[in-house]
Amino acid sequence: MGKRRKVLQGNIIVARAAIDAGCNFFAGYPITPSSEIAQYMSREMPKLGRDFIQMEDEIASLGACIGASLAGRKVMTATSGPGFSLMQEHLGMGVMAEIPLVIVNVMRGGPSTGLPTKPSQADVMQTRWGTHGDHPIIVLTPAFASELYSETVRAFNLSERFWNPVIVLYDEVMAKAHEDIEIPYKKDLYIYKEKIHKIKDLDIYDREIGENPHRVDFFKGYPIHIDGLEHDKHGWPTSEPKTVQKQQTLRMQKIYHYLDDIIQYKEYYMEDAEILLFAFGVSARAALPAVEMAREMGIRAGLFQPLTLWPFPKNALRQRFSRIKKVLTVELNMGQVRYEMERVAADDVEKRALLRANGIPFTPGEILEQIKEF
Amino acid sequence: MEKFEKELNQAARERREKRKPAPKQNDLTVVSVYCKGCGLCVDICPTGTLELEDNMVSKFGVSVNVVAPDYCIGCRMCERRCPDFAIFVNYEKPTRGQDNGKTS
Amino acid sequence: MRHYERYIRYRTFPTPWCPGCGDGVVLKSIAMAFSDLELDPNDIVVVAGIGCSGRMPTFFNTNTLHTTHGRALTFATGIKLARPDKMVVVISGDGDATAIGGNHLIHAARRNIGINLVLINNGVYGMTGGQVSPLTPQKFVTETTPYGNIEPKFDIANLLIASKASFVARETVNRPVQLKEVIKKSFQHRGFSVVEVISNCHINLGRRNRMKDPIAMTKWIEGRTVSKAQYEKMTEEERRHKYPTGILSEDTNRLEYSDLYYKHIVPAAQAAAEAAAKKQAERNNARKKEKS
Repeated sequence: MGKRRKVLQGNIIVARAAIDAGCNFFAGYPITPSSEIAQYMSREMPKLGRDFIQMEDEIASLGACIGASLAGRKVMTATSGPGFSLMQEHLGMGVMAEIPLVIVNVMRGGPSTGLPTKPSQADVMQTRWGTHGDHPIIVLTPAFASELYSETVRAFNLSERFWNPVIVLYDEVMAKAHEDIEIPYKKDLYIYKEKIHKIKDLDIYDREIGENPHRVDFFKGYPIHIDGLEHDKHGWPTSEPKTVQKQQTLRMQKIYHYLDDIIQYKEYYMEDAEILLFAFGVSARAALPAVEMAREMGIRAGLFQPLTLWPFPKNALRQRFSRIKKVLTVELNMGQVRYEMERVAADDVEKRALLRANGIPFTPGEILEQIKEF
Repeated sequence: MEKFEKELNQAARERREKRKPAPKQNDLTVVSVYCKGCGLCVDICPTGTLELEDNMVSKFGVSVNVVAPDYCIGCRMCERRCPDFAIFVNYEKPTRGQDNGKTS
Repeated sequence: MRHYERYIRYRTFPTPWCPGCGDGVVLKSIAMAFSDLELDPNDIVVVAGIGCSGRMPTFFNTNTLHTTHGRALTFATGIKLARPDKMVVVISGDGDATAIGGNHLIHAARRNIGINLVLINNGVYGMTGGQVSPLTPQKFVTETTPYGNIEPKFDIANLLIASKASFVARETVNRPVQLKEVIKKSFQHRGFSVVEVISNCHINLGRRNRMKDPIAMTKWIEGRTVSKAQYEKMTEEERRHKYPTGILSEDTNRLEYSDLYYKHIVPAAQAAAEAAAKKQAERNNARKKEKS
């Protein structure tokens, strides 16, 4: 084996990627199936002089992460379904106060305590709309082992660039599987480094549409005020209608102006495809061999695998739907991305969904049967 | 003026009657626009220098009034008690410790 | 200009609190304590939760953070661990510290993380209109206990001493000089420090319990205040409604959390990493010797 080629568990790949991306603060609470991330961080962070703390619950974990992010750290936390439900209030605070942070959500069977040791993909809508109020969010869905690494690094870059929480979403099977992966060298990694350290004045939220806040961290010599209340351009609380509407628009537009930079996807066998398979995470891993087997049988199927699930790759899909008139959504839940597909694809596209929520991931054979019947 | 404000003024008047004017002069500065007329300073002043009065500058229509400035002994309890930063003693010429951060 | 005024953001004045509210006195006492200690505003961060006390950071001319209900201590933990050299002050009300935030309170005390908490106890949830809180005295009438409160209140000082907090003190807003002195001592303590300030909410609690104006309520608080020495001489019966004031518990030997982390955990981890690397190097050398 080469020098950088290792066999690592999925969770450890994500933790390793976070450390390589420069994460220097981790606050977490153990929960199956993401405890390995916290355990790995508790061993490795002190070795590098970085911070690790196990807080008393998930709410406290995200609170400590936000506090550390405001004090200048690159922060991360890791959890699963029940813990992610607890984190919603502070996720909203991260969006409202425009704070960079990375949350790893390893999906397990739900709702409530559900199936702690079995996978699902049922947190899709919660990652988009879990916290109350109008809020933009970025959700990345790696599927293969190398993507676990690269998407985690990309999550840190996106969160720093857009001053917003970013969620890395995968599931219990990928978390626990040991796979071989080639870890890139540090010098080959792209790490976002354009964070500002000086501002002109204390009008930290004064900006044009599509711009980020002009804010620095605490203790840089500027007495800034960060608030969960709706605020004006200085950051002080206000409820004046014009200001509020403007701030809501600015927070949305700072993400939606740069969809081309945020949305990424991978396509397999799509050039002449007649059936489009839409699958992410562990379902994409099964869909790819299924598509290959279908091709061998002469069926022209193709796989569209989103790496960015939210914002939804609507424009890319609509382009494909001008030519492709059959779409099969494969997801391990009772139907969540399916509704997005119904919204995005026009009426002349035949939409079907392969759904299951019993904790057993799809096999390529099962997906192939669906493709054959289509 | 409400009943308790009248009672406060009465109590301040009684305290004043028991005393004589102070030996040294102390300046009192009142920022009427911050004063909410709560009466905490009137209550705590040991010499009855302050009373409440109707005043439309203040947000609540009542603010503090320095009725007997020569009775002020400069203890600064009104300044320490005021929740709104509306009253200061010897603001222009601070005496020992008032502006160098050592004591207050 | 007074020295303590440099810690105040006058642009946000006048304060939104009711006339005579004890929160203003706490604001002034903290500013005076900062001034006495001659701290740099850039080195301080003031964190608060939700409620009337939660509006206090807006008025400080330091780094300020206004967070969610009950979780201010968690944000402060993150800030302190990230920048252990800075001063972190948390201002909290009834609900923030003892109801929704009760869990974080005892964990912060147990960890002894270097946060200075000022807990403003006015016996009610003021900002939301006057609902009962875990610190409301029994038999009081509030918006959610119209027939009288049947729940006994927490004794926060004892709760914290049992959670091994290393500095617990209590004062009232009637005594601004002593309040400032106790706050100053708590700021100088290295570790988790709590100052419980008994305050008056005459508009939302006093008004429903025959204490309509601030003076009546401060007199009621005064009637319940005793010094620590007097409290110890009292019988069980006399103690029931009294608040002992002063520094109730102080332990300077407990190490602070971030000190423990950076002076014990990090060197231990680095030593372990070095030992493992040495072992690996020895194994590689042995393998090379075998081959040659």
